[in-house]
Amino acid sequence: MAEVRLSHIVKGYGTQLAVNDLSLTVNDGEFVALVGPSGCGKTTTLNLTAGLIELTGGEIHIGDRNVTDLDPKDRDIAMVFQNYALYPNKSVYKNLAFPLQMRRTPKADIDRKIREAARLLDIEHLLERRPRELSGGQQQRVALGRALVRDPKVFLMDEPLSNLDAKLRVQMRAELKRFHHDLSATIIYVTHDQLEAVTMADRMAVMHGGLLQQYDTPERVFEAPVNVFVAGFVGSPAMNLVPAQVTEGGAALESPQGWRCTLSPENARKARAASSRDVVLGARHSTITLSPTPLPGGIEGRVYTLEPTGDITFVHVRLGNDTLVISTPPATRFAPNAPVWLGVDQTKLHLFDAATGMALRAA
Amino acid sequence: MKRRDPWRIGGAVFLAGLTIFALLPMAWMLITSLKTQFAALQYPPQWLPKNPTLEQYSLLLSPGNPVGQEFLRYLFNSLWVSFASTVLGVVVAVPAAYAFSRFRFPGRNLLFYSVLLRNMFPAVVFLMPLFIMMRWLGLVNTQASLILTYLTFGLPLSIWLLKGFYDNIPVQLEQAARIDGASRFQAFILIVMPLSSPGIIATAIYSFIMAWNEYVYALTFINNAERLTLPVGLQRFFTEYATNWPGLMAASFIMSVPVVALFLVLQKYFVRALTEGAVKS
Ligand SMILES: Nc1ncnc2c1ncn2[C@@H]1O[C@H](COP(=O)(O)OP(=O)(O)O)[C@@H](O)[C@H]1O
Ligand SMILES: [Mg+2]
Repeated sequence: MAEVRLSHIVKGYGTQLAVNDLSLTVNDGEFVALVGPSGCGKTTTLNLTAGLIELTGGEIHIGDRNVTDLDPKDRDIAMVFQNYALYPNKSVYKNLAFPLQMRRTPKADIDRKIREAARLLDIEHLLERRPRELSGGQQQRVALGRALVRDPKVFLMDEPLSNLDAKLRVQMRAELKRFHHDLSATIIYVTHDQLEAVTMADRMAVMHGGLLQQYDTPERVFEAPVNVFVAGFVGSPAMNLVPAQVTEGGAALESPQGWRCTLSPENARKARAASSRDVVLGARHSTITLSPTPLPGGIEGRVYTLEPTGDITFVHVRLGNDTLVISTPPATRFAPNAPVWLGVDQTKLHLFDAATGMALRAA
Repeated sequence: MKRRDPWRIGGAVFLAGLTIFALLPMAWMLITSLKTQFAALQYPPQWLPKNPTLEQYSLLLSPGNPVGQEFLRYLFNSLWVSFASTVLGVVVAVPAAYAFSRFRFPGRNLLFYSVLLRNMFPAVVFLMPLFIMMRWLGLVNTQASLILTYLTFGLPLSIWLLKGFYDNIPVQLEQAARIDGASRFQAFILIVMPLSSPGIIATAIYSFIMAWNEYVYALTFINNAERLTLPVGLQRFFTEYATNWPGLMAASFIMSVPVVALFLVLQKYFVRALTEGAVKS
């Protein structure tokens, strides 16, 4: 296993930059998730790391080697593809044998390693089958097996679970995590599903429009998103983001929709750091309390609709033209169109500069 | 399908008629080739030969006599020309189709459609231009001129068909192979080629039959009797041995054997090539 260092990597297609000056280091044995919406450059980043496409600029190191100009076969990496990319005309056994044969492993070793990997992944009974005779989950395991038979330095995975049904996906998530733990493998894992990234990764790199937005542990990304994009992308349901204006002196926020919210001294300091009066207020569904009766300092809104999920009920509340989603215990009942009062937890509140989208920090 | 659909019945009758129309001359050819010369000229004709004989076949296929020598030379010439244009066709079509499918390069679409354009004109349109070009190249009266010509006939379809195959093979298969330790070339040879083999076989057989049957160009480009291919050579038989109907029919029958045999294989691969693609998506 080894660390992976991407330094200022750039990939351009024509005038468009699919990956724009991205730098990040994946530590030895670390599980890093590259996450972002479709088209943000995740696959391109992974393919650049693998050497499948050529860099427009920047350097890539794996371990202490500069692999920038090396072929994929010389980088000592393994990859798991979204569509598994199993060789359709070879049996499972031959699929697993292929990477070993290409590296001129002695026949006896090949057989031993295949049996070992098959036992680990519980696919021993499938070795003589063709890929098309396997279920999605089994193909997934074979793809994983083909990656691990030859002890690569780094595992690259491109949305490996996205073709599985929901239940299997949850199960494979746990297995992949276990796999990472057992092998102390260095893994770069691409997904568009922030939940996969949050639940599996040691650190997550959030990308948007080819740019790296934030690279940190899931907890930090969740608690302290660096900008509006990350705030809205990570977490489900998404963080409530509403535009507002800082009052003179910065002690409160007011909205063109007619509500007003007094800020704590800490948040007031952040608000004063904004480049203009326009800010975006961010609050997660769980940090707002709802009351059917007027609250001191509370913001008045109107219930729009309810989404009971069993253990939590999500209440959609309209503040003028903005809609917020707020979680409540299922016991409290609200009727559509009834007035409600919102209490915001000031310690969990996020403020962003509306002009730059960046999180505001206390000056 | 219990329902008496008039379209189905009509279709079956039409196909049966077509089959008879196609097979009757072949049957007559085979029957005549087994007759003696005397029996072949009888009127009314014998539907089945009373004394069937393989005499004509042994005459044509034994190198010991002048007739056999000449026939076998044409046969060999035809085999050589067809085989060479087939092999060259595959060697050119496979990488060309792969490039059209995988790489983005300036002029790619223009080039691809100009390849297909060749098939939109009847072949004779190119007879004179190609003849003049062959004269420039000093290839008139050589089999190379035919091989080159047949190549230009077979390639458009081969390239187009194979490109369809490569389009259907996910690029991730090659990427996986390259990560697994293969070079780009090895990934192509070891992973992609086997998946496109139905297409390669189908196009190869198609090119072979096309070259085997071609008449007009062979007649125009080659005058030397030593180098004639079978379709033209057969015509010489026709004038020289006009009275020997069984001999002519036996020669025709021998000539159609490879075509029929290859077509039987071809239809299986052709259907596969045109319907299935290489990988189910
Ligand atoms: N071969 C290519 N040619 C041109 N543009 C490409 C190519 N591959 C990817 N792109 C563009 O680069 C961007 C990033 O693509 P990709 O890395 O596949 O996104 P993701 O995996 O995050 O969904 C997209 O806008 C895509 O259209
Ligand atoms: Mg992708």
